[in-house]
Amino acid sequence: MQHFRNFAEEFKKNKALFAMAAPAFILVFVMQYIPMTGLILAFKSYRFDLGVFGSKFNGLDNFRYLFASGTGWLITRNTILYNLLNLITSQLLAVIIAIFITEINRMWFKKLTQSIILLPYFISWVVVGVFVYNLFNYETGMLNGILKALGRDPINMYGIPAAWPFIICAFNAWKWTGYNSVIYIAAITGVDGEINEAAAIDGATIFQRIRYITLPSIRPTLVTMILLQVGRILRGDFEMFYQIIGNNGQLFNATDVIDTYVFRSLLTNPDIGMTAAATFYQSVLCFVIIMVVNAIVKRIDEEYALF
Amino acid sequence: MKKRILAALLTMTMALGMLAGCGGGSSSGGSASGGETSADDGSKEVNLVMYVVSDRPAGQDTVDENLNKLLKEKMNTTITINWIGWAEYANKYPLLFSSGEVFDMAYCATWLNFANLARRGAFMPLDEMLPKYAPDNYAMQSETALKQATIDGHIYAVPTLLPTYITYGAIYRGDLAAEAGMTDDIDTWEEIEQFGDWLKENHPEMEVIDESASGPEMSLVWERMAGNYEIDSGNRYIFYDPSEEEPKVFALYDDPTIADFYQMCYRFGEKGFWSKSALSDTDTSKTQNGKAAIRFHNIDTWSGYTVLHPEWDFKYGVMTSEIAHLPFTQDCMVISNTSKNPERALQFWNLLTTDQEVYDALYYGVLGTTYELNEEGQFTILDSDLYSTSAMWAARTFELNRNQAGVPESYDTVRAEWEDEIQDGVGIEKYTGFVLDTTNITTEIAACQNARQQYGWPLELGYTDPVEGLAEYKQKLIEAGIEKVLEECQKQLDEYRASLG
Repeated sequence: MQHFRNFAEEFKKNKALFAMAAPAFILVFVMQYIPMTGLILAFKSYRFDLGVFGSKFNGLDNFRYLFASGTGWLITRNTILYNLLNLITSQLLAVIIAIFITEINRMWFKKLTQSIILLPYFISWVVVGVFVYNLFNYETGMLNGILKALGRDPINMYGIPAAWPFIICAFNAWKWTGYNSVIYIAAITGVDGEINEAAAIDGATIFQRIRYITLPSIRPTLVTMILLQVGRILRGDFEMFYQIIGNNGQLFNATDVIDTYVFRSLLTNPDIGMTAAATFYQSVLCFVIIMVVNAIVKRIDEEYALF
Repeated sequence: MKKRILAALLTMTMALGMLAGCGGGSSSGGSASGGETSADDGSKEVNLVMYVVSDRPAGQDTVDENLNKLLKEKMNTTITINWIGWAEYANKYPLLFSSGEVFDMAYCATWLNFANLARRGAFMPLDEMLPKYAPDNYAMQSETALKQATIDGHIYAVPTLLPTYITYGAIYRGDLAAEAGMTDDIDTWEEIEQFGDWLKENHPEMEVIDESASGPEMSLVWERMAGNYEIDSGNRYIFYDPSEEEPKVFALYDDPTIADFYQMCYRFGEKGFWSKSALSDTDTSKTQNGKAAIRFHNIDTWSGYTVLHPEWDFKYGVMTSEIAHLPFTQDCMVISNTSKNPERALQFWNLLTTDQEVYDALYYGVLGTTYELNEEGQFTILDSDLYSTSAMWAARTFELNRNQAGVPESYDTVRAEWEDEIQDGVGIEKYTGFVLDTTNITTEIAACQNARQQYGWPLELGYTDPVEGLAEYKQKLIEAGIEKVLEECQKQLDEYRASLG
């Protein structure tokens, strides 16, 4: 009751603020919270004529296929490792590039570099998939063309699963670095220029200025970006994996993520309950991971935590 | 100011209320007008909504206009055709039935999971309505076809009246075969190898056998040549011999000849009959575009190629020991359980499958604008960017369907021979009515499907060692639970056989 009275008082005092927050609140409620009731399908055997709420419960049956023949563990591991690797490489490269770009003095060169680095972000994975195939095709690919011209033996990339984590990571970084660096460039531009000037007058070299001024000032941005990415650590970037690897079974052990496995398994025999089960599994694990990571961050420095 | 905020908040609440209303409404869809539809005497004008799966052609508006004028005249009905594009059909098609959208009819097919959807209550049962409202169509349906459309005791679809065949074989370049001096039909593995060796030497720029990311189909051909038949099109690693008195289902790896098959595949692969990167190649039209010389596929694909490239003289070597019809639900029409005018939809269907004028208007479009006919009644598409043929493939019947001008005569003669050869209820034909119910084995089938793609396909393309690879494939299928799948298949097959009496 006390809470409600406090809330009512608060509401009276800040009506305008509540009204301003209302659209966002309603949007999130309608688009994010209401659809969550659909998760109930993960525990049901769905029938079209009975609908979402009328269908019968079937316990954990929908989850069984994920863990049949031990694939559940493999795809969960792959998903997490790929996301970690991609998170580290793309954020690290983005920070480095952001620093380089802000240190460039000539305006036209700065703009040109930035545009070129941002360009891959606009290329769809479908097109990238074609690139990859034409690079690594055994008979006609560019890589083997070069190797043959140099008098070396051609390499069958599609027969070496171990190479693909690196290939995928490289393409991911190529695509995302430019986009991520924009955020860091904004953060660096926000740093007071006088601090840098003062440091320069005091004799700090460019590396010292980066180490002691630029990096500490973008730390909050970096932590937030990483936390946001960790929240999606169990969601494989379906389009990237599907367009680059597709149906090539030779590479699945090294490249299969939850999303691609679910897609393939259910493509010929779709079942909305089984797909819901996969989403449920991903969401629960994501929730646990983000809570743990956030708690760790909070312990280290409360200000950086997401909530 | 205060009033304005209040107004804004009220509007939002109302919007929310409307959304909630939508959610509730879907469950009761269709029942509202139940009373008035029970007696349809054709006096009321009705607009039917029909869904098909394909990309909407540019000229559809013209075709619709022409068709609707005709339908209005003949049965006081108009039709709206909605299209689900190829890029999104896998997601959108099942959603048609779960969203509660009110529509009347849709194209369905075995490859769109007809049986699965029917079992889950997506369609309206037609047991009484079909004979009553589409009597002419019903009279033309064979017993086998109706059996295939029956799921859990109810008829859920109107099957196609144009028979298609299980035949698989080698579609190959006749001009190159003649150059190689191979004038007899190429329809054995020895001949394929011989032709392949010649191609490798004389046309090294060509891929010998067309293989791509959609997966190899050679093991299917191998089994079909030995007289075995797959349990269904989704599980092409489980076979049985329909000529046996009591057929026993078996996994592909238990076929005693399969080791030879994989040795042969490995040899073909080593010879470079296909690319080492084939499973990442998304180009599925290599034969059609002259980049590959042989493709294993069905007779309709072959007839399509012959029209596209008469100069390459495409030939067809049948590599199936026994001919039978494909299930007639390969193409079928279903009535949605949200339909308000199922009677009129069936009457329309009856007319469509018996009246050449209506059929032409739907299937080929407007004479002189989208197609023209030659003296033999064969059609030519005038501008394939404008309109080719309808995507409602289920409307085709043997009587009304026209051949495309340029299809070789052998297309008709071969099919006539097959029709003579097929005896209702004998051999494979006896089993084409069998539909596997996967309800109890969904998990195992999903896992086996995955094992096949991950270990079966690379093995079949000779990327892995034929002996070790086969052992691994078998191991993975067993881990995926294939034994339970086999048991269930055997049980259902025995029941089906018993039901035939």
